[in-house]
Amino acid sequence: MGEFIVWVVWVLAALALLSSGIAVVLFQNPFYSALALIGNLASLAVLYLLLAAEFVAAAQVLVYAGAVVVMFLFVIAYLGGRADAPWAGKPSPQSLAAIVAAAAIAVEIVVVIALKAGDQLSTPAQIEDDFGSPAEIGRLFLGDHLLAFEVTSIVLLVAAVGGVILGSAVPRGSRS
Amino acid sequence: MIAAAWIALFAPAAAVVAVALAGTGITRSVAGFLAAGSALVSFIASVVVFAVLLGESPEERTHSSTLWTWLSAGDLKIGAEIQIDPLSVFMMLVVSGVGFLILAYAVGYMNGDAEERRYHAYKALFVFSMLLLVEAGNLVLLLAGWGMVGLSSYLLINFWHQRTTAVAAGKKAFIMNAFGDATFALAIFLLIQRTGSVEFSAVFSSDVVEHGSTAAVLIALGLLGGAVAKSAQVPLHTWLPDAMEGPTPVSALIHAATMVTAGVYLIARTNVLFELAPAIQDLAGILGGVTILLAGLIALVQTDIKRVIAYSTMSQIGYMFVAVGLGAYGSGLFHLMTHAFFKALLFMAAGIVIHALSDEQDIRRMGGLGRAMPFTYRVFVVGALSLAAIPPLSGFFSKDSILGAAANAGTLGWILWTAGAIGAFLTALYTFRLLFIVFWGEMTPFAREHLHLKRFEGGLAMAGPVAILAVLSFLGGWLQVPWGWDLVNEWIDPVAESAAEATGTTLVFSVAASLALAVAGIWLAWRWYGRPSDVPERTRRRLPWAARALEHKFYFDEAYDLAFYEPASRKAVFLTRYVEQPLFLAPLGELGTSVRAASRRLSSLQTGYVREYAFALAAGLAVLAIVFILVT
Amino acid sequence: MLGPGVAAYLILSVILFATGAFGVLIRRSPLIVLLALEIMLNAGNLALIAFARQTGTGTGQIFALTVMVVAAAEAVVGLGLIVAVSRRHVELDVDKLTTLRG
Repeated sequence: MGEFIVWVVWVLAALALLSSGIAVVLFQNPFYSALALIGNLASLAVLYLLLAAEFVAAAQVLVYAGAVVVMFLFVIAYLGGRADAPWAGKPSPQSLAAIVAAAAIAVEIVVVIALKAGDQLSTPAQIEDDFGSPAEIGRLFLGDHLLAFEVTSIVLLVAAVGGVILGSAVPRGSRS
Repeated sequence: MIAAAWIALFAPAAAVVAVALAGTGITRSVAGFLAAGSALVSFIASVVVFAVLLGESPEERTHSSTLWTWLSAGDLKIGAEIQIDPLSVFMMLVVSGVGFLILAYAVGYMNGDAEERRYHAYKALFVFSMLLLVEAGNLVLLLAGWGMVGLSSYLLINFWHQRTTAVAAGKKAFIMNAFGDATFALAIFLLIQRTGSVEFSAVFSSDVVEHGSTAAVLIALGLLGGAVAKSAQVPLHTWLPDAMEGPTPVSALIHAATMVTAGVYLIARTNVLFELAPAIQDLAGILGGVTILLAGLIALVQTDIKRVIAYSTMSQIGYMFVAVGLGAYGSGLFHLMTHAFFKALLFMAAGIVIHALSDEQDIRRMGGLGRAMPFTYRVFVVGALSLAAIPPLSGFFSKDSILGAAANAGTLGWILWTAGAIGAFLTALYTFRLLFIVFWGEMTPFAREHLHLKRFEGGLAMAGPVAILAVLSFLGGWLQVPWGWDLVNEWIDPVAESAAEATGTTLVFSVAASLALAVAGIWLAWRWYGRPSDVPERTRRRLPWAARALEHKFYFDEAYDLAFYEPASRKAVFLTRYVEQPLFLAPLGELGTSVRAASRRLSSLQTGYVREYAFALAAGLAVLAIVFILVT
Repeated sequence: MLGPGVAAYLILSVILFATGAFGVLIRRSPLIVLLALEIMLNAGNLALIAFARQTGTGTGQIFALTVMVVAAAEAVVGLGLIVAVSRRHVELDVDKLTTLRG
């Protein structure tokens, strides 16, 4: 019974994921694209839960869907009508090349993973109950990966300062 | 006493550093006082050393002191070493004493010059270098001082560096001196090879090389080359007249009293090595004799007041070379001392005249200055009489000391004596020609227009030292009197044993003959230049080739130009056009151009389109994945 | 483990990544390009979490969290740039923003 529910959830989440992803890429209106991104992030969070990464799922919803996307929406609202460069015209050689490139990347990555790590993917490891719990994450951040922890704080500081500087420059109304 | 010697050496160096660092923080005159003051300190210190040495017996008058080991290469150790013995103290006294007087004079002469501080610093540098040269206790340190006086000379000759003639003269002096430095260095190398040391005590033993061997000849020749270049003897003499481009105190100090006499000092100091190669020592004497005559003849037709005195210097150093060439070291050094007195005096008096006439140096525009400038005229007379070797002035005693030694030195001695005697005639002639033209007769219109005098005609700073030198030129000769005593010979004896002088009738003959010739020269000068006469003009017209040869200084400059400068310049042009340009510069240029072209082509990849960059990324990723699969 | 194996998650991640890449290559509005970039980053995160589950270590999750931080920072700076560009009345078209050319 549990197996069945998990499978259903997985299929639904996967479908939502892929469709919202395509929606983000294909919508003309950036507002709709941002909303589609929210859907994408939410389905990702579900998939994380299925993979026993509770903390990451929560962080995903809080940080990504709750902050980053909101930031996007703010900017889209601020830019108003100027944020919609229309579709790149008729199907040009560039769009064809882009499709081919994306497909090639996908195929190649699958092939690489299958060839190199295929036999290791059969049985996942056994995990304890606290795998992916906040306590475990905390223990890892303050233990083995303390450096990453500290460095990310610096990255955030830099980004914050950069954002302030970029936003505070007063334009002189010039056309470049 | 050792401390005093070191103080004497370093006082001028301290002055140089002080003036250089103080920059415009001190007034120009203060810079001059610092420099002159340091020379005075050196002189007082030298007197102290002299007094202490006097108290010792002649055998124990040799001391040396090493501050630190300067160079150490394998077994060879060269220390910063000074040697205090009669010879070095003698030179120290002359250099610092006359140096002080000239530096004090220069405070007045250079007053108001825009770069006066630099001048005084260079002067102090020179005094330091010269003292280093005479106090050095080993040959390498001597060579260091040798080179540094050459440097100071160069810096001071083209002190007024905006004048192209001065710059050319400085280069000429330096390059000719460099030739001598090179031969000197080669001699040192040979000595190091033989003895493994450069200290005087080790090198001046008579078993260093075999008497008359090739090594001895080469070593002596190398030393002689350095001496000849530094002292402006034939054939390396052409730089000295050009060096008159420098300010007059420079000419007085460097090119009369001290630097040019360094060659004489060197031969006296290394007399052991010269006596091991008698042929070279004779050569020194012969070169001296040739220079006496050559310089004397050229001086007869010079029209620049400083150049006459310059050729006179060349000629008088010829006398000193004759002396040391014949082994009469004491006489040579005695003449060095008296010459320093009266030659510096003459230059400085000429400097007062030049200043009074607003920097005019052509004697044809001068005349009748004797009445307008009585003080200068009188001291000039003292100097001229001393130069012409008229008793009781100092020049008489020193020149006759040399001639007396020559008369006692065999055939070569008599040949050189003849040259010296003729030289005495020429000296008197050209010296009094100069005096009569400048100071006697009527004042030229030019002089009348431009004459302007200060207190004591040149200011106290200039008149004072000149007066002191006049007194010294008067009295300085009494140190060594024929039929009396020879204090200088005795003093120098422990370091350089002087050959004996003639006695009895030979001496009487020598003294009488040279004196007669000198008086004859003065009389002839009076006849031709002291009163209106057209004999000089008629002689020139009757012997035009002689006049031209003299005016062109026997064509030495032209010969050197053809022999050395032209080929070198042509070679340089050839190499530049056919070797350096195509082989080195062109490829470099090509390299630069091709790199620039390649980078321009590469930069066309940066189109500015973000999508193209993203594309490149995706394509790269794809390729990498394939490579990854294939390789691993 | 219940449900599909880790391989399925990886396939999902790859397809999502390719979608994001396609979006970056094809859209002309820098804003949409940033959104597509976010999708690519999330696809990478999914792969990391899947591998963390596979190996049973928490390193993949730490990595994913760090990627999230970086993505947030990058979004801040990117949006700041877009705002600054639009403030100077320049058209927000990736094909027109080409002054950084060599």
